[in-house]
Amino acid sequence: MRLLYNFLKDMRLSSKSFYFYLEIGFTVIIIAVLLFVVPENFETNLSIYLHLDVDDGLYTEIMETLGDNSTDEITIVDTRESLEESMAENRSSVGLSIYRENNQTVYNFVLQGYEEEKFKNIIKTTVETAFANEMFGDTDNITITTLNQGVEKLSDRTNMIPIILTMNVSFMGLFIIASYIFLDKEEGTIKALAVTPNRMWEYLLGKMGVLLVSGIISGFLLMVVMVGTKANYLHFSILLISTSLFGSALGLFVSSFFDTMTKAMGWLFMIIIIFALAATSYFTPSFSPMIIKFLPSYPIMFAFREVLLNNPDIIYIYTTAIGFGIATVFLFVAANYRFKKTLTI
Amino acid sequence: MITVKNLYHSYTKDDRYAVKDVTFEIEKGEVFGFLGPSGAGKSTTQGILTGLLQLQQGDVNVVGYDMRKPSRDMFNKIGVSFEQSNVYNKLSALENLDFYKKLFDVPTIDSMFLLKIAGLEHVANKKTSEFSKGMKHRLTFVRSMLNNPEAWFLDEPTTGLDPAIANQIKDIIKEKNQEGTTVFLSTHNMYVADELCHRVAFIIDGEIKLIDSPRNLKLQYGEKLVAVEYKLGDELKKESFSLIDEKDRSRLNDIINQGNIELMHTKEATLEEIFIKVTGRGLQYNETSV
Repeated sequence: MRLLYNFLKDMRLSSKSFYFYLEIGFTVIIIAVLLFVVPENFETNLSIYLHLDVDDGLYTEIMETLGDNSTDEITIVDTRESLEESMAENRSSVGLSIYRENNQTVYNFVLQGYEEEKFKNIIKTTVETAFANEMFGDTDNITITTLNQGVEKLSDRTNMIPIILTMNVSFMGLFIIASYIFLDKEEGTIKALAVTPNRMWEYLLGKMGVLLVSGIISGFLLMVVMVGTKANYLHFSILLISTSLFGSALGLFVSSFFDTMTKAMGWLFMIIIIFALAATSYFTPSFSPMIIKFLPSYPIMFAFREVLLNNPDIIYIYTTAIGFGIATVFLFVAANYRFKKTLTI
Repeated sequence: MITVKNLYHSYTKDDRYAVKDVTFEIEKGEVFGFLGPSGAGKSTTQGILTGLLQLQQGDVNVVGYDMRKPSRDMFNKIGVSFEQSNVYNKLSALENLDFYKKLFDVPTIDSMFLLKIAGLEHVANKKTSEFSKGMKHRLTFVRSMLNNPEAWFLDEPTTGLDPAIANQIKDIIKEKNQEGTTVFLSTHNMYVADELCHRVAFIIDGEIKLIDSPRNLKLQYGEKLVAVEYKLGDELKKESFSLIDEKDRSRLNDIINQGNIELMHTKEATLEEIFIKVTGRGLQYNETSV
């Protein structure tokens, strides 16, 4: 029962403090940014201005080639001057001027000037290939082979959610729980508790409970708004609880080595920064050095990603949840042991 | 009730001891004063007795529990009031007491009753962040009574309080003691110690210099003097006479016989004067005596 009283007291205190709303506030801001600033997908539809100075036969052939597919991206302009003017107005565009010279068809790509050489080559090759395929009937020479055909692709916006869940929900507790502990220490209330039959683990677990509540509120808020029903909330809840408790237990363990928030802050900040490195491998799976795979944030990000898929890897999700659950127990026992010796000094 | 034998404690875990070879016993129902200036080792000793500091060297037994491995159950039997008030500022006075009340496994005193004792019943539902220092101190004090402790540890219980409230606090301590509560009182206020304690220990530089009752100390170290103010003609004269010295006693008799005495009182040595005499050091006592 004392655990419950500790938890209820901490909930009451937290609900009147800034820290409790920090995580939820961040989540609301992130949701707003995702909804109103971040596009569903980052692929930009490159605008193409096309100027045709060719005979009627070729003109008709080109127009037939374009068909109805790309009318939004391709704009036909009348003159070369108007092509350049249009490009000057729209800096995310390229131009293509097709004209006849010395009885030959000339394809003149007009670029903005900021494009890298690689980009120029891709544009040139892509357009050449497209026209070659369509105009000269050699489509049979080109085949496309796709590896891992079962891989599901999330939209770029949705793909960011696992990182936010990992860093803002699972690991935000690292900072906040340390703040709670050091605030109690600073106000001396921890000493008053220490001279009651209250046990250290009851005190620490009460704090973790508060962090779990704010983690669940933030996590569900993010998921419900961003993906609605397109996620398995049972898998999500278990993973969220496990990783949120892990973050808090890690925060407790690290804090147990320090006597003030100021001293602990540097280390906690460094841990968060290091954990954030896993995002590089998350976005660029080809870059996954072993050292990044060892970061706790790495499997958490990928496990949250699985939760968002139509066919999630349930074994991966639950292995991650159980693994972090076990790690939480070890960290909590260690933090409890250390705090029993140091917290009231 | 409380036994301390050869207690040593070093914060730096070397031979720089904050407390050195401290030994004393406190009987059930006794009010034991631990007197000394700031930094003398009072808080360290109380910290060890209340489990806030780990016992490093020596034997300490509090209400039947060995402080080498103190059981949490021990805290059902003790109460601790801190010099610095430490209440939850975002909770009301009543919420503060109600929370701590639930942590004990023994019958507890009603929170409102305690607030009444502390003169805080009118602000029971007010957040303690809005309390004055004295109000917080009183709340901290009555919080330590919640579980009806057998052994009650009080650290500077009247510090920073106005004389009227300090008197109330002293009355509560006397009352609880009469009910059988053993009191360990850490203070540098010799007037409070003199008024409340059955025995006092003088501690300085981590070592106990002396343990005795205030009465015995006064008898042993105080001079038996009588201060007299009398009229000699139109002139008001002030003199002190020793009750031991034959010449002084004879002179005092003469003045009494003349019948011109306006004021006369015995001059006992104060505990503070005895402390200075015994330890060679003052108490840096600079609050209004209460």
